[in-house]
Amino acid sequence: MKGGTARRRSVGRQGEVTLRRAVFILALTCVLLLCGGGLLLLAAPAGTGGATAMGSPGIDPTFRTAGQVLLFLSGASGVFGIVSLRIAYKSLVARLDAMRDSGRVGHVEAGHPDLAMLVNATNGLIECSEQQVQRALLQVKELEIQLKVATAERRHAEAIIYSISDAVLVTDAFDDVMLANEAAAKTFDFDLASSTRKPIDAVIRDERMIGLVREMRQSHSRSGRRIVEHRMKSASGDRTYKVTLSTVAGASTQSTTGPTGVVAVLHDMTREKEVAEMKNDFVSSVSHELRTPLASIKAYVEMLIDGEADDEKTKTEFYEIIQGEANRLSRLIDNILNISRIESGLVKINKLPQSPSVIVREAVEVIAPQAKLKNIVLKDDLAPAFYQTQADKDMLYQAVLNLLSNAVKYTPVGGTIGVSVKVDEATKKVVTKITDSGVGIPPKDLPFVFDKFYRADANNHMAKGTGLGLAMVKHIVETVHRGKIIVESVVGKGSTFGFEMDLTD
Amino acid sequence: MSEVGNSKKILVADDESHILHVVSLKLRNAGYSVVTARDGQEAFDLASAERPDLLITDYHMPQLSGLELCQKLKLDVATANIPAIMLTARGYHLEPNDTEQSGILRMLSKPFSPRQLLATVQEVLMERAA
Repeated sequence: MKGGTARRRSVGRQGEVTLRRAVFILALTCVLLLCGGGLLLLAAPAGTGGATAMGSPGIDPTFRTAGQVLLFLSGASGVFGIVSLRIAYKSLVARLDAMRDSGRVGHVEAGHPDLAMLVNATNGLIECSEQQVQRALLQVKELEIQLKVATAERRHAEAIIYSISDAVLVTDAFDDVMLANEAAAKTFDFDLASSTRKPIDAVIRDERMIGLVREMRQSHSRSGRRIVEHRMKSASGDRTYKVTLSTVAGASTQSTTGPTGVVAVLHDMTREKEVAEMKNDFVSSVSHELRTPLASIKAYVEMLIDGEADDEKTKTEFYEIIQGEANRLSRLIDNILNISRIESGLVKINKLPQSPSVIVREAVEVIAPQAKLKNIVLKDDLAPAFYQTQADKDMLYQAVLNLLSNAVKYTPVGGTIGVSVKVDEATKKVVTKITDSGVGIPPKDLPFVFDKFYRADANNHMAKGTGLGLAMVKHIVETVHRGKIIVESVVGKGSTFGFEMDLTD
Repeated sequence: MSEVGNSKKILVADDESHILHVVSLKLRNAGYSVVTARDGQEAFDLASAERPDLLITDYHMPQLSGLELCQKLKLDVATANIPAIMLTARGYHLEPNDTEQSGILRMLSKPFSPRQLLATVQEVLMERAA
């Protein structure tokens, strides 16, 4: 390596010397060429008639000869200069090759100060370029990572939107659908796969919803949010939605002043509204039911205070009425609390295999004294006790007792009540029925008898009731035990109430 | 306690027997003549037949509600001028339209005071007489 470098150095120096020499020779050539050319011009008039004017024709041949000699010399020195220049060129090319071979120009010691400057500048330029390239590569890698993260985040966000049970519909600045989830497809009844990039009015048919999205987009609100209640018809009836509309910066623009898109989220609040209405109805009914006995109590107490009861007999009658109404109020409160506790799940449900026949027999024994008071005949036809159903014994007992109690209440003196538990092996069902020979329920009242506080007008005078017994039976059978309620009635002939449950294997 | 010589006839309609009993007693003790009905239809028939000077009715009743009863009475020339006082356990509010179309002049909510009911009865009858 050392020998090679020394050789390249000596070649380089030799080239510089040759270059200087060649420059000197070429300069000399130029001087000779100018002198020779000048002498020939001076000699020229002799040949062209100009000498006559000068008046010295004897000088011409000397000038011509001298000019010719000078021109010859300039020619010779020119050739020599060109040869020297070529040698210098070759030696410089050899040096540049050597520089290139070394890989780094800066590693070659430049003998000439100008060349050294050139070499340093080139080295700086190369280093700078290399740094730029490295930086650019890093940036590309960073961008690749960012792209992967962004793609993952987008998929994640889409997965979240798809998993939301509320309907989500995203439109852009041109009211085209950008994104929608399954809930939205179901709510508006459109094909999810082919919905994107289509105008909103080509995807959904609900005019009010389309109008809401357009209005929101046209409002140009940057951080706007609007909540509206919207009713829509569906296959399962009218449904009410809470629609939250928000504007978002359009997906295609990074500027904060660009066009906006709209995100619409529809929350189905049909059930919430129903529950709220039911709650209101319940509170209203409870209030009515509590006020009625309370009204009697208050009125009779005031009558006693005011001395409106003239004799002891009337006073005793008033006291009895007050006591009876106070008991009615207390019973009502107990029942309301009971049904509320069962419905809200506060009462622990303990389902075990139970025999409906055993439960029915226990309830019949409890109700028998009341039936006897009205001379009502109780007949039973109960399946063997080994047929069982998954049940909470206390709750099912309460349901049977409520049905038996109603049967006794609405059956006139001397009537009959039949109680049966029958098993259908084929369908694996066990059916409990209580049939009375009572007053019956008019067909118009039949669909409502399980509603809280509902009492058939026609039978209101037959017996005192809270209007909660059958509501409790329905809840116990259908909600707690997933059974089926049975009700049949003929006015003047009697009613049959019962329930069907699955047999355990 | 009774106000002798008061011969005004009052029709009381309520499906709650205890309320019917206590209101009737209070009014009779005050010297009024009282007829009672246990549902809206019975009240309508009695109002047509007896032409009472005043009707006291419960809102929630079988057959016809108190409001329906009053509206029906208003449609018949013979009974259109019978003033009515309504008792209600539902917190039902009286709209101006209801008064015009049904002749209900006062509302009392249950639980009520028989004393206050009597005072209201006297007030309405005096307004009518004036």
